[in-house]
Amino acid sequence: MIDHILSILIFFPLVAGVLGFMVNKDSFRAYGIAVAGIEFLLSLWLWYAFDNSNGGFQFVEMAALVPAFGISYQLGIDGISLFIIIMSTLVTFIGIASLTETRNVKNMIITLLVLEMTMVGVFAAMDAILFYVFWELSLVPMLYLIGAWGGPKRVYASIKFFLYTFTGSLVMLVGMIFMAYLYQQATGQWSFSFTEWYRVVLPMNYQLWLFAAFFLGFAIKVPMFPFHTWLPYAHGQAPTIGSVILAAVLLKMGTYGFVRLSLPLFPDASVFFIPLVVVLALIMIVYTAMVAYAQEDIKQVVAYSSVSHMGVIILGTFALNIEGVSGSVFLMIGHGIVSGALFLLVGVIYDRRHTKMMNEFGGLASVMPRYATIFGIMMMASVGLPLTINFVGEFLSLLGIYKVSMMYALVGGLAIIVGAIYMLAAYKKVFFGNVTKRENENLPDVNRTELYALIPLTIIAIWLGVYPKPVLDPIDRSVRENVLNIMYQKVNTEMGTPEARALISDPYAIKETITAAAPEAKKHAAVAHHTPEAR
Amino acid sequence: MEITLTHYLVLSTVLFAIGLVGVMRRKNLLMLFFATEILLNSVNIALVAISHYHGDFTGQLFAFFIIAIAASEVAVGLGLLVLWFKRENKIDLDIMTSMKG
Amino acid sequence: MEMYLYIALFAPLVGSLTAALFGASKKTMFTGLFASGMLFASFVSSLLLLIGVLEGNTYHVEMMTWIATGDLYVPFGFVVNEVTVTMMMVVTTVSTVVHVYSIGYMDHDKSFNRFFSYLSAFVFSMMVLVMSDNLLGLFIGWEGVGVCSWLLIGFWYHKESATWAANEAFIMNRIADLAMLIGIFIIYWNLGTLQYEGIFAGVNELNHGVLTAAGIFLFVGAMGKSAQFPLHTWLADAMEGPTPVSALIHAATMVTAGVYLVVRMNPLYDLIPDVGLFIASLGAFVAMFAATMALVNRDMKRIIAYSTLSQLGYMFVAAGLGAYWVALFHLMAHAFFKALLFLGAGNVMHAMDNELDPFKMGGLRKAMKGTFIMMTLASVALAGIFPFAGFFSKDLILEVAFVEHHYILYTVLLLTAGLTAFYSFRLVSLIFHGEERYKLFGFHPHEAYKYMLVAMSPLLILAIIAGFLFKGTYYEMVIAMLPAGEYHVHNQVVYWVMTIGTQLFVIAAILFAYRKYENAKIDLKVESGFFYQLLFNQYYIPKLYDELFSKPYVELSKMMWKIDNAVVDASVDGIANVFYGTGNKTHTMQNGNLSSMLRWMVLGLVALLVSAAVFIGIVTNADAIMKLLGA
Repeated sequence: MIDHILSILIFFPLVAGVLGFMVNKDSFRAYGIAVAGIEFLLSLWLWYAFDNSNGGFQFVEMAALVPAFGISYQLGIDGISLFIIIMSTLVTFIGIASLTETRNVKNMIITLLVLEMTMVGVFAAMDAILFYVFWELSLVPMLYLIGAWGGPKRVYASIKFFLYTFTGSLVMLVGMIFMAYLYQQATGQWSFSFTEWYRVVLPMNYQLWLFAAFFLGFAIKVPMFPFHTWLPYAHGQAPTIGSVILAAVLLKMGTYGFVRLSLPLFPDASVFFIPLVVVLALIMIVYTAMVAYAQEDIKQVVAYSSVSHMGVIILGTFALNIEGVSGSVFLMIGHGIVSGALFLLVGVIYDRRHTKMMNEFGGLASVMPRYATIFGIMMMASVGLPLTINFVGEFLSLLGIYKVSMMYALVGGLAIIVGAIYMLAAYKKVFFGNVTKRENENLPDVNRTELYALIPLTIIAIWLGVYPKPVLDPIDRSVRENVLNIMYQKVNTEMGTPEARALISDPYAIKETITAAAPEAKKHAAVAHHTPEAR
Repeated sequence: MEITLTHYLVLSTVLFAIGLVGVMRRKNLLMLFFATEILLNSVNIALVAISHYHGDFTGQLFAFFIIAIAASEVAVGLGLLVLWFKRENKIDLDIMTSMKG
Repeated sequence: MEMYLYIALFAPLVGSLTAALFGASKKTMFTGLFASGMLFASFVSSLLLLIGVLEGNTYHVEMMTWIATGDLYVPFGFVVNEVTVTMMMVVTTVSTVVHVYSIGYMDHDKSFNRFFSYLSAFVFSMMVLVMSDNLLGLFIGWEGVGVCSWLLIGFWYHKESATWAANEAFIMNRIADLAMLIGIFIIYWNLGTLQYEGIFAGVNELNHGVLTAAGIFLFVGAMGKSAQFPLHTWLADAMEGPTPVSALIHAATMVTAGVYLVVRMNPLYDLIPDVGLFIASLGAFVAMFAATMALVNRDMKRIIAYSTLSQLGYMFVAAGLGAYWVALFHLMAHAFFKALLFLGAGNVMHAMDNELDPFKMGGLRKAMKGTFIMMTLASVALAGIFPFAGFFSKDLILEVAFVEHHYILYTVLLLTAGLTAFYSFRLVSLIFHGEERYKLFGFHPHEAYKYMLVAMSPLLILAIIAGFLFKGTYYEMVIAMLPAGEYHVHNQVVYWVMTIGTQLFVIAAILFAYRKYENAKIDLKVESGFFYQLLFNQYYIPKLYDELFSKPYVELSKMMWKIDNAVVDASVDGIANVFYGTGNKTHTMQNGNLSSMLRWMVLGLVALLVSAAVFIGIVTNADAIMKLLGA
């Protein structure tokens, strides 16, 4: 079974969802929770079986689909995708468990299960066509979620979401086919396999075009400035669960695509495009944070904040060093947990008051103290307080980009200021002051179901902030092996550009001074040093 | 005078033009069917003639296909036409606008 | 001894979490006592560690890895050495006192438990800040105290001013924190490590530019936390928090973290004396600048806050001039008497129903004898009268400036010493002497609980004896780590003239303040003057910031939002609308009439045929066309 664990992970929700049509409507919630729970446990088992010391792809499955064109059903995960998969199943599980929707719950849960299949599929696929299929399939359930359970402008929002992201990914598809064609030119046979593609060193002019094609697909998904405007609408209209999954998982597809495809396939082009991408990311960080500050709707604040933080992920990715890329992958997890939790939290008051406007609230800290506490913790995680999950990722991402340019780090670092500004302002408006509206005087505090959803996320947000090692280590290994080493090897062929050679250093070259303080040796060694230098 | 490929192709073109004009001008559905038949058959002539002069039977094969398909198309089309006539007592094209976009 | 280290560090956390468990429930005395007990345990452990350090040991533990990726390796490592143990003693002493005091002070507050949870969490963060063996660990504490400060300033969250001040403090600190992060980045990418050990070992090999950059960025971080100009406005506003908080966080411990950072990084700052001079100059400027604002303010707590700011300036002068041990010593002495002063002010506020204007008080010495004595002695210590703690630490800074030949700094500091004495005794005089003006306002003052006064007494004793009793031992201990330097004026005559002169100057300032404010007369002519107004409005800086940063930021944000809708989004929608529009215009083609549709079809066919013919024509005659174009 362990050999096919990835297939099981992908298709179990689908099969369960289809079988679900036969399940009684009244017991469907329990059924959905059970299925999502099993799926989550399966993904934990995946982690358990995962070999932490191996940075390469594991659990690889391979079956030819269209041999003539080298399209195959190829799956595999490494440290980068493992945790995003676990995060996806966790968020889906928590989302289904805390579902407060009353209309058509059965359809909603089936939709969510199908969505879960596509999400796991995207992150487990190792074949470009498979990747693309899951990537596009993920649009359909999300379109349905927004369109069927959304707010008053749901049709506009869902169509915008669909068409916008679809346009981007079509360009990406063209890029993929061209990439496969180039592979065929180089080797004489077709292949869409990532691992095969990794071996092709492309001349610079092709790299530039292909990078641009992939970039459009990924950038719209992230969404990067100026392609971000679909997101506020989607979040504004989507039901809580839709926003949670959209922010936590679907956006990660874009950043994951950069790490998985753009960097190792087009290393020179990545270096070439650093100024453009980074400047877009910087604009995205500061600009959307300022827009977030101007919002009156708490959900829009969270939505724009999630765009702003995605900018930091991009910064880390394009730092092109271990610190930065590992940090950005870690921040993907952190952002998923934290923004997912924030959307859930917004859903809590929306369920009670059916409004998201901040001026309708005020003084909630005294009415709903537990809610205020959890929101406070998550807000602090969102602004990147040390010992919360986001700090690790943001720190590493900014640390990485500093290597590229100090100005990038300085402007990108504004994220910690502007982030604090809009978050604290929003928190103040909602929770502080006196209770001014009579409707708010007797709002019930978070109930048990909501606590079951929020407490695990809170625990994870703190646990991974205090002890990120179990997650960061595998990420670190895979980033070295599957991203930076490939880039390093490629830029050091005769086709590599000198700029790229200067920037990308050998990921396996470790400074001696660092190995002297190797973590393993000193672990738990509470030894007293009696040296005067130990300042 | 020997009949060459050109003659056949000219015939085919003339027939095609007649069919085209018919398709454009006719308002009666039945006449429209006739016109399409002329169009299809003009193509058939071209296909058979080229096939003959090339010594390749694929063209004639295609012609048979077209004949078969045209026959079935007419069968279905006439059936629909009869149905329509029963309902509306008219087979004028201008009143069939349910596909208006 | 490692056990004591862990107790010293984690006991406050245990206290905080325990109190947090009862956070939402009604006041339970247990939480207050338990948190205080934990703090006391931390204090005792620190004391034991101090004894160990005095014997010549240092303690270093690595609990576990925190962040390790690439070349970066940051553990949770804690070190107790001569410098950290000094800070630990200061922190645990003052916080134990403040905890016990708070049991009385927060007696009637319904969020009693929550308060202790926050307060203990603050102490934990502060201990992390102090004890960490690496810069990023320090940054954990640095941000941690920032959050606790946010929570505690905004403790009474229903008050608009409190929450506003809390946010202001947090955001301003964040601005500085960014600089600090950049400083950390510079150090990491140049030295490959963030452990102090590694930094100090490698710092000598770096070039001057890198060192200067690192030094400046780290110092900007310190400026935020220590509220140095221009990031100073939050400190006065932070007085919105409960008074024990002001005593602990905004006087004794957190705001001194910046000084601590400079002292801790002394091997770095030793190599860049020009940055040091900048630090010292800024410190002297802030000392004077803050003292002038304290002269005229009418809010008891704000006066003490400005005084804190001024004293922080003193510390930075010492640290900037390389007299790190003097800075640390003044930090310690200042913590004791300033916390005492704040707690005394807390008693007064309690007695006066949270009234803060000293002009509405007067003659309180009869009703509040204990508080009166304590505050007076604390003010004496602050003014630097022999043999109180302030004399030994503050006058030493004056001597440092003198010995290092920075006479301008010396003069500024000397003048500030006079101002300090003046505003301190202006306050004491207004509160405790003269007529009992409070009767006009209908207050019924009463002395604080006995045990609150008892709790304050250790600080009183320390404020008196810390100077002459500890200075020698402290010096012996701390020079193991910090550059030694006696800073004695060698000429005996000059020395005595300086010392006695300063003392006389200060005493004169005190007497002047007494005489002037005993009757709390308000001199309208002075008050309407330009200088008075300038000082009273804090040099109009808060207003300036409001106009220059806050309002434009709001406006800009709103504008950005409009741009987002009207430009970015509209252009996307524009593209979609082009398609919609074309569809709208051309859908008449689809009129449903078969014969007209067939005509369109034929037209399309013809168009295709023609274009194909043209294309073929161009391709086959390409040469001729090229020739034609060429000719």
